[in-house]
Amino acid sequence: MIADDKDVLRDVWFGRIPTCFTLYQDEVTEREAEPFYLLLPRVSYLTLVTDKVKKHFLKVMKAEDVEEIWFEYEGTPLKWHYPIGLLFDLHASNTSLPWSITVHFKNFPERDLLHCPCNSVIEAHFMSSIKEADALKHKSQVINDMQKKDHKQLWMGLQNDKFDQFWAINRKLMEYPTEEGGFRYIPFRIYLTMSDRPFIQKLFRPISPDGHTHTLGDLLKEVYPVAIANEAKRYQVVIHGIEPLLETPLQWLSEHLSHPDNFLHISVIPAPSD
Amino acid sequence: MSSCVLDEETFCRCCQLFLEHSHSLCDGWSWQLVKGSEEGYLRKVALGNVRIRTSSNPNQITDQYIQGASSDQRQGRTSPFTPHKENDDDHNDEQYYDDDDGAVCCMQDSRSSGVIQYEYHILYSYSYQTPVLYFRASTLEGRSLSLEEVWDGVHPNYRQRLQHGPWDTITQQEHPLLGQSFFVLHPCRTEEFMRPVLQAALEEHRQVNYVVTWLSVVGPVVGLDVPLSYCTKVPAPSHTSPSPLQPPALQTQPD
Repeated sequence: MIADDKDVLRDVWFGRIPTCFTLYQDEVTEREAEPFYLLLPRVSYLTLVTDKVKKHFLKVMKAEDVEEIWFEYEGTPLKWHYPIGLLFDLHASNTSLPWSITVHFKNFPERDLLHCPCNSVIEAHFMSSIKEADALKHKSQVINDMQKKDHKQLWMGLQNDKFDQFWAINRKLMEYPTEEGGFRYIPFRIYLTMSDRPFIQKLFRPISPDGHTHTLGDLLKEVYPVAIANEAKRYQVVIHGIEPLLETPLQWLSEHLSHPDNFLHISVIPAPSD
Repeated sequence: MSSCVLDEETFCRCCQLFLEHSHSLCDGWSWQLVKGSEEGYLRKVALGNVRIRTSSNPNQITDQYIQGASSDQRQGRTSPFTPHKENDDDHNDEQYYDDDDGAVCCMQDSRSSGVIQYEYHILYSYSYQTPVLYFRASTLEGRSLSLEEVWDGVHPNYRQRLQHGPWDTITQQEHPLLGQSFFVLHPCRTEEFMRPVLQAALEEHRQVNYVVTWLSVVGPVVGLDVPLSYCTKVPAPSHTSPSPLQPPALQTQPD
């Protein structure tokens, strides 16, 4: 990894989305609830970084009116187990900032959202993604060779927003045998807004059998050709809020633009029609 | 040999053979196709009888759990994966697990009996190259069962083993094809328990239907009944490579 590439890692880690949280109008309050403003880390998870939001609204509510918190944007429940940046790119990319999220404390949408009773659920989910990514990249060899304290360090790095602490361990998950030229398979998910299906995930190698480097364009062509097939440029392919060139090598993207869970989360959204 | 790993095509063929047998038993499995794709999964809905936790007002269950779950100062439990320990008395255990309907657990004391609908899906995991079991449960009124209630349905023998770590257990996950909340038995250890079985089969020149073998191990853990005839009657998918060795019983013996 060359020096400039390290800047990319930092830019990804420290990406923020200015957000305005408003209490749902039908929630029962003792006095009026003011909106709460917060800069959300793109790479983290809603339920991990919104303690202040919860405390703010609990100040105007009675305990018996409070159940598990959940978030919604324009009627769509927001999946806390998706990274915040992904949720934004998927639902609110081409809208004006701040991102307006509605906060609920009742009527938890059981079928649509996973419960998040405490941080250890987030940790379990996060570590499960990392493990799955390593199963694809290294047949789980690297993650399984790590000690429990290394696993813990990955989580603590994310939880406490500590870039160096996180990458001290994560860099091992980004290594590969030189002769291979890349990971075994690339951990990715392509999220679609115009489908019942939440995402596409398939096996895809970074290097073809005859040795040439696969690009983002190659991946889409193979796995979701609709995204790039159109001449009218109806869709945008977005990662961390930007549209990488389709010629970008997939291996490079995986090493530099993955989320802390080691997955490339790719949004395919309708292009703005102006 | 990569016999421990299951490729997608073999998964589908195993499922097809599994389905044929299910139809002959009227066991309720079906193949669901994903809209606009060739991917699919096995699905079964079963009704079971479970005593679910409640106070005098059945509607209070939801409140009881969600409030308990959302409070950060919950007593006792440090992990949501710790199942309810109320009925650890030995003499309760024998009436604990009722296999008749394939999805049951009976508990004592102040609980009311309710019919629970269980839905089981068998999907293919690209990441682990194994099948994965997704399931969800709800009352007939449509209330989804919580993780705690699901744990109550796990046979006590399995619970201990399932508590070893977040990767050996039942968690709530998003269904990758439907986007809805389901419970999942984590697949990352599947290869570990399948390997000895597949190895033994290889040595004995037997062929194995991966999905049947796998389901017979994981199904009972979550109350899914897998009748024995699956293991004896469902063949392994035939390979396209030169004719596989026949099990000794089928070989003609010279006089």
